[in-house]
Amino acid sequence: MSGHPDSGLLPNARLIARREYVEKIRSRAFAVATAILMVVAIGAALVPIGLRALDRGQTTRIGVTSSDPSVTAGVIGLVSQYLNPIPAGVDPATVRAHYALSSEPNLATGLTDVNSGRLDSVLAVAIGPTGGLDFTFHGNDGPTSATIQRLQVATFGAAVVRYSQGLAGTGSSGPTFHVPSFELQPTDLGSSVAPVDPAATGSRTLLASILVVLIFITLTVYGMWVATSVASEKASRVMELLISAGTPRQLLVGKVVGVGAAGLTQYLAILLPALLVLALQDPIATALIGPADPGEAPLVGLTVPMLLAFGAFFILGFLLYAFVYAAAGSLVSRPEDIQQLAMPLSFVSMAGYFAAIFGMTAINSRLIEILSFVPFFSPYVMLARVMLGHVDAWEIGLSLALLVAAIGVSMWIAARIYGAGVLLYGQRPGFRTFLRVAIRPGGG
Amino acid sequence: MTLVIDRLSKRYGDVVALDAVGFQVEPGEIFGFLGANGAGKTTTMRIVLDILRADSGTVTWRGRPSTELPRRTFGYLPEERGLYPRMRVLDQLVFFAGLYGVPQRDARHTALDWLDRFRVTDLAGRRADELSKGNQQKIQFIAAVLHDPEVVLMDEPFTGLDPVNVSLLRSAFLELAAKGRTLIFSTHQMEVVESLAGSIAIIDRGRLVTGGLTRDVRRRAGRPVVRLAVEGDSELTWTAGLPGVRSIRARADVTELTVAPGTDPQSILHAALDRGAIVTCFEIADASLEDVFIELVGRPVEPGSLSSGPLTIESAA
Repeated sequence: MSGHPDSGLLPNARLIARREYVEKIRSRAFAVATAILMVVAIGAALVPIGLRALDRGQTTRIGVTSSDPSVTAGVIGLVSQYLNPIPAGVDPATVRAHYALSSEPNLATGLTDVNSGRLDSVLAVAIGPTGGLDFTFHGNDGPTSATIQRLQVATFGAAVVRYSQGLAGTGSSGPTFHVPSFELQPTDLGSSVAPVDPAATGSRTLLASILVVLIFITLTVYGMWVATSVASEKASRVMELLISAGTPRQLLVGKVVGVGAAGLTQYLAILLPALLVLALQDPIATALIGPADPGEAPLVGLTVPMLLAFGAFFILGFLLYAFVYAAAGSLVSRPEDIQQLAMPLSFVSMAGYFAAIFGMTAINSRLIEILSFVPFFSPYVMLARVMLGHVDAWEIGLSLALLVAAIGVSMWIAARIYGAGVLLYGQRPGFRTFLRVAIRPGGG
Repeated sequence: MTLVIDRLSKRYGDVVALDAVGFQVEPGEIFGFLGANGAGKTTTMRIVLDILRADSGTVTWRGRPSTELPRRTFGYLPEERGLYPRMRVLDQLVFFAGLYGVPQRDARHTALDWLDRFRVTDLAGRRADELSKGNQQKIQFIAAVLHDPEVVLMDEPFTGLDPVNVSLLRSAFLELAAKGRTLIFSTHQMEVVESLAGSIAIIDRGRLVTGGLTRDVRRRAGRPVVRLAVEGDSELTWTAGLPGVRSIRARADVTELTVAPGTDPQSILHAALDRGAIVTCFEIADASLEDVFIELVGRPVEPGSLSSGPLTIESAA
């Protein structure tokens, strides 16, 4: 339908987008859904604080064993003091210990206790020929976990104290200081998983999963908004008037932009308070559950580049899917029939979503790398890579460029289907109709 | 300087919707476009509007192909009425006019004028789904003409209107035509066509059956009709015995008869007077458009039906 002097995109696309936006924002359903989701998001943002509060109630039990009971007692005393610091000016009786250290007769009984769940881990102290100490930690904490890092410092302190005590007895010519070794020995509790550090990769993966899930849900929901909006214009027969006043491209772009803007509004309304809670997490945590203990894992780390990547892939992903959803909506006679046409599309969306979610454990694999450039998948997969793996700037650029190109193609095809589809009534809604109209819009 | 519809053909799969349909509409004319349901009226209008492409044939207005004209050249009242159900009347009118390039303030002003003319200013702030059918239709008409198009295409604009509203719409038609606008409308109400349309085209199953000035079509295609009423005799069974005379319709007030070519209609009056009857009505008229239609299309018009061209397999209702 070219050739009309008034077939340019503006101003009609803008008028249509504005109408769509205003009607959507004003609707009761929109307000209710936004309010509910806002509460849910703020609740989700408070989860880390809740986790920390729960963590507070837990005590990590560590058994200590060595060949010399006095060494054992000395290590327990020093390490316990270090792990359970008492803030200045606070009555020691009110401070609850997070770590409970106990003496174990030997390593074997200690490990038995770990297996039976009475202990979380065992710290074995070996006394060298010169009296120097070496430590082996039998437990599932990873090398970067807060517990291990603090244990390393504490055991080093214990070794220094013991060495200085030895010097006091023997005079000045004692043995040189033996730097204590600290080894990690994972206790096998039936799982062969390498020790992971929940504080580092764990929170990143969680965050990436949340964002990928968020993109999946919103692309589907807002895509369906577009399809439903087109289908209801068709059902109410206002379409025939619209199509005689504007070109399919004006109508499509206006619709997608209007719905997208409404979606973005909802997004911001939901995310901003939640992000605010996240940003102010430490003050809020302090207010709710008291000040952070030294060494407590930092709360979620959401960075600006991550948010930018998320925003870009959300908007472009939405545009790509929304045009296809609009084309699907133009082919059904009743809004109830959209499900059938939207199904294949949601399979595509789901494939990208699952690739991203499962790919998180193998984020640097070749397949994930390739998928992160494929337009219908890249909003999910590239986002996961940006969050978890190492991605070069050119890779992100190429992925975005391919996405933009695909949006152009999808808009062109969608306009073709839309122009013919909106006048077709009583079609069997199905994927075959979709293809047939895409190939031959004029045919009956 | 006319709207020229030239040999339009359109098929949907095996169904021939239009088969070389062609006619012309003069500027400033009110044109009746007649045909049974599914005859191809809606398809033709959609092709003129360029929301559908013909397989072959062209449409030109003032010498330019319709595919190159600004969309605001045309106004359209679709057969299936459609407004945004939840949107306020004035807002939608301004919105649609905006799509045709009318600035918001002008659109508001003109829309209120039209609402006033149709005596429905109180509807401006109401939602479309709160309106009665007749009122929706008036709003739909305003939506079609608000941007002051040169050519207005209307599919069944009179269906479902009460006599008061029919007369309001009729005067709006005449006013637009007087301003030089060209109006094309389809209807099943033949008396409306007879009184409004200077020219008509009748199509049947995608083919043009006849067209031209309404007066000429009635003369050319039909035989003269004699309307006769006699006091105390509503049956007029005796007319069956008159040579070349056939009773076609017994109405409450008069009986309509046709005469074969070569038979003088006056012979009926003579026969009645010879029988000593008191004649209260005797009228010789051109064939009614309805008779012409039935004779040409072979079946009566289906009044009040809302189905449309072959595209619309499923009705919205």
